[in-house]
Amino acid sequence: MEEVIATRNLCRAFGRRPVVQEVTLSVPEGSVFALIGPNGAGKTTTIKTLVNILEPSSGEANVLGTPSTKLGPSQFQKIGYVSENQELPEWMTVAELLAYCKPMYPTWDDAFCELLLRQLDLRPEQRIRSLSRGMKLKAALLSSLAYHPRLLILDEPFAGLDALIREELIRGMLELTGQDRWTVLMSSHEIDEVERLADWIGILNKGRLELCESVTSLQARFRQIDVRVSDNGDSPSSLPVSWLLAEKSAQRLQFVETQYHAQKTEESIRRIFPTLQQVLATPMSLKSIFLALARTYRLSA
Amino acid sequence: MLPFRVEFKSGLPVYEQVVYAAKKAIVSGQLLPGDTFPSVRTLSQELKMNPNTAHKVVMTLVSEGLLEVKPGIGTLVGKAPSATRGQRGTLLNEEVERLVVEAKNLSLDLKDVLEAVRKHWNGLQKR
Repeated sequence: MEEVIATRNLCRAFGRRPVVQEVTLSVPEGSVFALIGPNGAGKTTTIKTLVNILEPSSGEANVLGTPSTKLGPSQFQKIGYVSENQELPEWMTVAELLAYCKPMYPTWDDAFCELLLRQLDLRPEQRIRSLSRGMKLKAALLSSLAYHPRLLILDEPFAGLDALIREELIRGMLELTGQDRWTVLMSSHEIDEVERLADWIGILNKGRLELCESVTSLQARFRQIDVRVSDNGDSPSSLPVSWLLAEKSAQRLQFVETQYHAQKTEESIRRIFPTLQQVLATPMSLKSIFLALARTYRLSA
Repeated sequence: MLPFRVEFKSGLPVYEQVVYAAKKAIVSGQLLPGDTFPSVRTLSQELKMNPNTAHKVVMTLVSEGLLEVKPGIGTLVGKAPSATRGQRGTLLNEEVERLVVEAKNLSLDLKDVLEAVRKHWNGLQKR
C-alpha cells in the first residue's frame, strides 16, 4: 500500500475549541514523517485520533487502509505506539511487561527482543516504577518494536530527555532497518533530532497544517540570501512573495528565499536592486527553515 | 564502527555530506578497493540517519562506480571509477564555482586559491 496514513480535512474540537483544523496529510510507506510544531499546535491530538484514542469531530483518518474509528486487533498488531504520556504498569518488571505484551502480537520475535534489550541497555528484572523517565520510554519502545511493527508512531519521544538517552532511542528505532516494510510517524518540537531522521516534514501551527513536504524538496528551495547593494535606499514596498523576513539596511539586504533557483533568484534581485554587487546564498538547516516559517506565521497571525 | 568520519554541518543536506565523506575516504586511501563498505543498516544506525537517505548514499556511490555490490558478500569499495575525465570534470563544476565564490568573498586572489588547492591535494595523497 502506498500511504500508510492518510487524513482528509481531519478536524477535532474540544467543546467549541478547535484543536485540529482541516488537516490533510499522507505518510508514504517506508518514510520517516516528522510532525513538528510548537506546543499546543495539535500534534498529540492528531496522533491520538490516528490510533483511535480520540474520534475525529469531522473529516477522516485512514491508517493501514482502515478508517481510524474502525481499527481493530489485526491493525493494532502492526502498529507500535510510544507516547511521552504513556502509562506503563509501574508494578511490573520489564520482563513481565514483555511477557504481558507478547501473546497479543503474532509477529513477536524473541530474538529481536533480546537484541533490543541489549541495544537499549535495559535489564529484564528492573521494576518499571524504579526506571527514570528516559528508561521508561525505552521500555515502551522495546515493547512496541519487538513485534516488528509496520507503522511506528512516536508522540514527542524525545521531550526532556538527555542526549545519550535520545541517541539510544534513535538507535533502537533504527533497528527496524533491514526489516522489509516499516514507516515512522513522529511528532516533535525538537527539530535537531528530526533533521537527520525525517524524510518528510509536516508543520502544524494552531491546529492547521501549514506545510507537508519532503525534506529534500524543502532544503532545495530554501536559502538564506545576503545581498550587497550600493544604494542607500529603503526596501521597495513590494518584494516577491517568495521572499520572507526581508530586512534592508544601508547597503545590505537579507531575506529568506523560499523558491530558490540560482539564476532566477539573482535575476529577481537585480530587477529590484540594479546596483546589486554580490549575492550569497546559504543552504539552511531544517531548524532555520522552521524558525523562519514560524516567525512568518506569527507575523501574519 | 564506520571506516570514515562524517562531521555533520547544519544546513547542508545529510545525503550530500555523507556522500562527500565517503568519496573523501576513498580518494585519500582511507578506504581501499576491496574494503567492505558499511551496509545501509550500519550507516543508518551509526550516523543516526534516515535509512532511505543511507540507501540513497550507497546507490549514488554505486552508480558512480565507487562501490560495487557483490551478492552474497556485501558492498565493496570498487576499483578506480570508470567515469570519463569529462564526466568527472562536470561533477566538479559546482564545487569549483563554490570555491571561487568563497575565495572572492574573502578577497583572496587566484594565487592564494591555487596554493590552497595544492596544499590539500598533497595532503590527501594516497599512501
